[in-house]
Amino acid sequence: MGEPYAHPDALVSADWVQEHLKDPKVRIVESDEDLLLYDLGHIPGAVRIDWQGDLQDQIVRDYIGAEKFAELCSRNGIAPDTTVVFYGDKSNWWACYAFWAFTLFGHPNCKIMNGGRKLWIDQGRPVSTEIPRYPATKYTVAGDNEARIRAFRDEVLAHIKAKRPLIDVRSPKEFTGELLHMEEYPQEGSLRGGHIPGAKNVPWSRAVNEDGTFKSVEELREIYQRELALKPGDDVIAYCRIGERSSLTWFVLTYLLGFPNVRNYDGSWTEWGNLVRVPVAKGA
Amino acid sequence: MPAALDAIVAELSDSDRQERIDLLIDFARNLPPLPDRLAAQRDAAHRVEECQSPVYLFVELLGGHVALFAEAPIEAPTVRGFVSLLLEGLNGATVQEILSVPNDLVERCALPEVLGMLRVRGLSGVLRRIKGEVTRAAMAAGGPDQGSATRAARDEGRAGDQQRDHP
Repeated sequence: MGEPYAHPDALVSADWVQEHLKDPKVRIVESDEDLLLYDLGHIPGAVRIDWQGDLQDQIVRDYIGAEKFAELCSRNGIAPDTTVVFYGDKSNWWACYAFWAFTLFGHPNCKIMNGGRKLWIDQGRPVSTEIPRYPATKYTVAGDNEARIRAFRDEVLAHIKAKRPLIDVRSPKEFTGELLHMEEYPQEGSLRGGHIPGAKNVPWSRAVNEDGTFKSVEELREIYQRELALKPGDDVIAYCRIGERSSLTWFVLTYLLGFPNVRNYDGSWTEWGNLVRVPVAKGA
Repeated sequence: MPAALDAIVAELSDSDRQERIDLLIDFARNLPPLPDRLAAQRDAAHRVEECQSPVYLFVELLGGHVALFAEAPIEAPTVRGFVSLLLEGLNGATVQEILSVPNDLVERCALPEVLGMLRVRGLSGVLRRIKGEVTRAAMAAGGPDQGSATRAARDEGRAGDQQRDHP
């Protein structure tokens, strides 16, 4: 066994989840890129929370407000003291995104299931197509962590001036400006290619293993602390294209390595690459 | 639009949200496997680049009618379901019929309400790809029968380009 993660409570194994399927204090939440995966079969008792349909405002590019968040939790049987365990496809991109959004509203007890949906299925664990119903809860939003974990474009501009660390977690071709969108995601295009000046490129995928689980604390430290020379106290902003891949990096830095000052710039390249007269760097 | 596809569109647009999801799941489950002779030809040329997942498409032209074959992973049920829906609605249709399928098919199936705007744009790419491949097959076949189809294909291609330039 290697060294434990900085906040080991934020990560649970598939075994742990299987042991807590009937635990009334635990709610399992599936968040996927492909909406239909949940309908194809999910962890028994798990509810679906969709990053587009549930967590985002349908008109303004923003998250839902506190009132809607309370409704969302209430109808999914999530009380303020419920432990919420997120899992999903794509090595938990959307699970981390949902975790981050829940943290925005101050939900205190969130966890990621290591390995996500793929590992659960690959290990032949039980799945169900039954959509569970839970009694509505009384949910009061605990607080507002926006200033602590979310960065807006003006803050990113200030960050560049202060020469503070920025991590671009996109693929190398997006970083250099060769591609205007992630390979095979043409719907998320931008007018300009490149990256935010001063940003270092560490693709999100370097933090995970082939099976979708996170790398060990030693391996993560090698990438972020030695190679990138980040220090745990640094004020770090991570971004990608729409903020989902960078929420995985946010999770890794905050909970697995114990960096207390990491923010996710969810506007990411779809905002920056379309903004008028902001600085853009091209090439490696 | 071919009658089979028309019926599918009507069924989807008349359904509620959960019924639409269930229909797409059924389509995803029922996509027939590729024949062995085509499975051996899964290469970059047959990969649908517009899709995030590995989707392979094969178009054959037999006596003026189109035969479509495709593979998409069950781990991407939305795209697999939509590909399966297109195959069921378009197989056996003529080149002209396929090229006349409206480009806003995804909207006509009322899928944006279920899937959200970002997800459906990838799906429209599958239809564009099918039309492109059918056009290519018709041009390669040539002959008097395909002549008018080829012209229609070129016109359609231009219309498609304009639409892409001005979304």
